[in-house]
Amino acid sequence: MTADEYLKEVLVSQDLGDDSDEMKALQKHRAEVEKVIRDSFEETALTIRYAGSKAKGTMDKESYDLDIVSYVCSGDDTAGETLEAIYENHKKALAKSYFVEPKGSALRLKGCGPDDLGVDFHIDVVPGRFTDETKTDAYLFQSNGDKKRLKTNLDVHLDHVRDSGVIDAIRLAKLWKVRNCIPIRTFVLELAVIKLLEDHKKKSISAQMELFLTELRDHSADLCVEDPANPHGNDLSQCLDDTLKNQLSNVAKRTLQQIETSGWEAVFGKIEKLEKAARIEILRSAGAAATPSRPWLPKA
Amino acid sequence: MIWQRKNPFLYGRERAEVESHFPDLHFIEEHGFVFLRGSFPVLYEGRPLDRYTIEVQLARNHPAELPIVREIGGRIPHHSDRHVNADTGIACVLIPDERWRLWPVGESLLGYLTGPLHSFFLAQTMVEEGEPWPFGQWAHGPKGVFQFYRELLDTTELKVMIAYLACLSAENPKGHWPCPCQNGKRLRDCHSAEIKNLRRNISRKDAAASLAILKTAGVSAIELTEAKPLANSLCNRLNHR
Repeated sequence: MTADEYLKEVLVSQDLGDDSDEMKALQKHRAEVEKVIRDSFEETALTIRYAGSKAKGTMDKESYDLDIVSYVCSGDDTAGETLEAIYENHKKALAKSYFVEPKGSALRLKGCGPDDLGVDFHIDVVPGRFTDETKTDAYLFQSNGDKKRLKTNLDVHLDHVRDSGVIDAIRLAKLWKVRNCIPIRTFVLELAVIKLLEDHKKKSISAQMELFLTELRDHSADLCVEDPANPHGNDLSQCLDDTLKNQLSNVAKRTLQQIETSGWEAVFGKIEKLEKAARIEILRSAGAAATPSRPWLPKA
Repeated sequence: MIWQRKNPFLYGRERAEVESHFPDLHFIEEHGFVFLRGSFPVLYEGRPLDRYTIEVQLARNHPAELPIVREIGGRIPHHSDRHVNADTGIACVLIPDERWRLWPVGESLLGYLTGPLHSFFLAQTMVEEGEPWPFGQWAHGPKGVFQFYRELLDTTELKVMIAYLACLSAENPKGHWPCPCQNGKRLRDCHSAEIKNLRRNISRKDAAASLAILKTAGVSAIELTEAKPLANSLCNRLNHR
C-alpha cells in the first residue's frame, strides 16, 4: 500500500456517519442545549446556528465538535448589556444543566450528572451580538487575552475552510494534533494548514502532509495566521505563542523521523475495522494476556 | 531537588524508552513536574484496539511514588464505578500496597505504562463495551484495603490486619513485640520472616496510609465486606517465591 492509499484509509476510518453513536449523541445534546438557551432567554430574539467540523467537512472520529452560535440582534440588551454580560449570562444559563468550561469566546459543555460527570459532549456554545441589521458580522467576547472584543463572521469562516481545497490535509492535521495532545486551537490549526498549503493544493496528500510538517519543524517560529473574517482586526498571535510554536516544531520533527524510518503507519497506526463481536473477542484475548491489575478508589 | 534534575540519566533513559514505545506520548515539564501527554493506545499483539488521551504526572520523587493519571479526552465519566475520582478526575489505577506485584520499585516507567496502566485502560474499554472488569476490581475506600489485606494475609480479622500494618509501617519492628497473628508468641518466634518479606514489598508510607484508612473505618469495613478466608492468599504465594 502506498503512503497516499494508507492516508486515505486513515481518513475513511475517521469518518463519522450520521447514524454513528457519536453523531446521535451530538444531535441529542444539540437539541437539549438549544432548548436550555431558548428557555433561558425567552425575551430575546436569538439567532441560533450550527457550525463546527461537520459543517466544515473536517470531522474526524477522534476530533469532532459542534459549535452552537447564539447571537442576539444588534441593539438588543435583553440577554445582557455588554458582550461580557451576554457571555456570562449564557454561561450561567448553561451551568444549570452542564459543567461549563470557558474557552476563549466559546463555552465548552461537559457532563455534570452522576453518570456523565466530566464527559466531553464536543459542543461549544459561542454567544455574541450581530454588529448590525444585516446579521452577518458579529462581535464576540473573548474571556482570555488582552483584547476582549472580536469581530467575526461565521459564514466567512465556514467558506474559508470548506473551500480551501485541502480538507483532507486539515483532517489529518487535526488527527495529528489530537494524537499528540498539542494545545493549539483547531481553528488556528486549520488556518495554518490552509496557509502553508496554499500553493500546494494539487500535490498528493502524503506530499502535502510532509510539507506541512516540514514547515512546522523548520519555520514554526515565523508562523502567523490571520482570521479571514477580520484579517487586520483580530490578533491571533496570542493563540500561537513561542511555547506552542516550539512544541509544534518538536512534535513535527518527531513525526517526520517516524515517517522516514517506519513510514506513515508508524504515525497513525494500523487501520482495522472490526465488527463488535470480533472486537470483544480480541479485547478478551488482550485481557487474558495483560497484567491482571485491579483498580481501586481511595474514597468510598 | 526534583528527580529529573537529581538524576538526569534516569530521566533521559525513561524518556527514550517511553518515546520509542509510545510515539504519541510527549514529555513536558511544567511547574517542576514532568508530565506525559498524548494518545495512549490499548494494544494487543501490536494492533491498536482503542485510544485514550491521557496525562500522566510523575511524582516529584519519581519513581518512589506512583504517577497521577488523568484521562483528559473527556471520555471516561468521573465516577467511582469507573475508578475515576469525581472531584479530581484522577484515575485510580491500582491500590498502592499492591505496587510490588504490578510495578515494583526499580522497574522502568515503560513497565508502568505497558503494565498496570495499559490494563486499566483495556479494562475501561471492555467495561464500555458492556463486559465485566476483566481482572476484577477492589471495592472503594477502606473496603478495598480490607479486601486486599484479607487476600494477602488470609485473615478476615480487622485487628490482625491492623497489627500487621503497624509492623509494616513501624520504623524498626522489634523481635520482642507480640506477633501480629495474635497467637501470643513473640514476633521473632513466629511470623518474623513473613513480616520481613512484606516490608520488602510494601512501603512504610503505603502501609501507614492503609493503617490509617482501616483504623478510621473501624469494624464497619468488615461489616461491608463478605468475610471469608481465602485458601490461596497472595501471602502464601509470596512466601513460596
